[in-house]
Amino acid sequence: MTLKIETVPGEHRDGDPKLPPETSQNLLQILTDNIKEYAILTLDTNGRVTTWPPAAERLKGYRKDEIIGKHFSVFYTKEDFESGKCDQELDIATREGRFEDEGWRVRKDGTRFWANVVITALRDAKGTLRGFGKITRDLTAKKQVEEMLRQQNRDVLEMATVPVVQVWEGILLVPLIGTLDSARTQQLMERLLHRLTETTSQVALLDITGVPTIDTQTAQHLIETIKAVRYIGAEVVLTGVRPAIAQTLVHLGVDLSSATTRASLASGLRVALKLLSLHVSAAEPSGRMEVQ
Amino acid sequence: MNTNEAISVVRVRNVLLVTMPADPDDSTITDLQARTLDAMSSQDVRGLVLDLSRVEILDSYFARTVSETAQMVSLMGGNTIIAGMRPSVAITATELGVTLGRTRTVMTVDRALDLAGQAPPRGKLQR
Repeated sequence: MTLKIETVPGEHRDGDPKLPPETSQNLLQILTDNIKEYAILTLDTNGRVTTWPPAAERLKGYRKDEIIGKHFSVFYTKEDFESGKCDQELDIATREGRFEDEGWRVRKDGTRFWANVVITALRDAKGTLRGFGKITRDLTAKKQVEEMLRQQNRDVLEMATVPVVQVWEGILLVPLIGTLDSARTQQLMERLLHRLTETTSQVALLDITGVPTIDTQTAQHLIETIKAVRYIGAEVVLTGVRPAIAQTLVHLGVDLSSATTRASLASGLRVALKLLSLHVSAAEPSGRMEVQ
Repeated sequence: MNTNEAISVVRVRNVLLVTMPADPDDSTITDLQARTLDAMSSQDVRGLVLDLSRVEILDSYFARTVSETAQMVSLMGGNTIIAGMRPSVAITATELGVTLGRTRTVMTVDRALDLAGQAPPRGKLQR
């Protein structure tokens, strides 16, 4: 898109309060001066600032008298400036009529803001390039919300990767689903140890029902986790050892004899309750469970 | 040696409570073994409770000393209970391949004293 305008940048009468407001040109002027969300300014063909509305001053911190005539590269980070980003943007705007970008920009005081920038080539009626229009919008708040959402996603993902749930006072359950690689087991070990100390739980039920296969490395990681848990004064009960898993472990020569292992989570829970000297019994007529 | 680095060796009931400082240097670690064994021989105690709850850093020398001391205490007829090992220290311990044999580990000194007060264990650890 190329914007055709009648006036050339040098003739702009921006910010002059004596102008009669009847022409559409003047109304546009009032808009660019007063709009708060966008800094709408113009550059000459070399990229030097030619107009500077109040919104631009609010956003970037430069006063009109100190920025007019300066190259617009002052708004860019040092890295962007060194990589020649500013010139590329003007090249693209000249060639294609328009350039749009989102990225970090720098204020006068050196602070950064996340900006959406649109640069438009301004040509006169004959098609000669007269300068550029530059619209900058501060999207820092939006960026922060995005970052927050991304962090929440990461947290959810971590919970999905290594879920640690307290099932009883003193008993944590880790239902593992999917393949266990080194990174995940490392995460598992750290999270489990912290949750155990946080909740002063003495038993962790590590349920591998949902783990499709186990190789030597995975088994080694599990053994290390079991050891580390023991060092902090708790105990792991490995549950969900299916026939296939049991066969694999023996064929691989993995020695899990030092750990308590059970076929089902239910029997593992029974072991855990016993370790805590708790026992479950059916209460008289209502059939409600009671833990003593 | 500043006070932060010092080991505390206290007799509580019939056990020896040894508390390690946050970041013990090699001489402090050497001191641990000497003082523990001395106290074991001079006082009539049933065992050792080694409180590691303040310890933030574990190196191989420290790990080996702890493991050896537990074995020595065992030879002198006592049981060792290690209390309060932090998660980061526990992870380091597994990485170092520390073996604690039959040494028991618990989360708190409180729990260790409970255990120590019980009848001598019959081989397998009791919880």
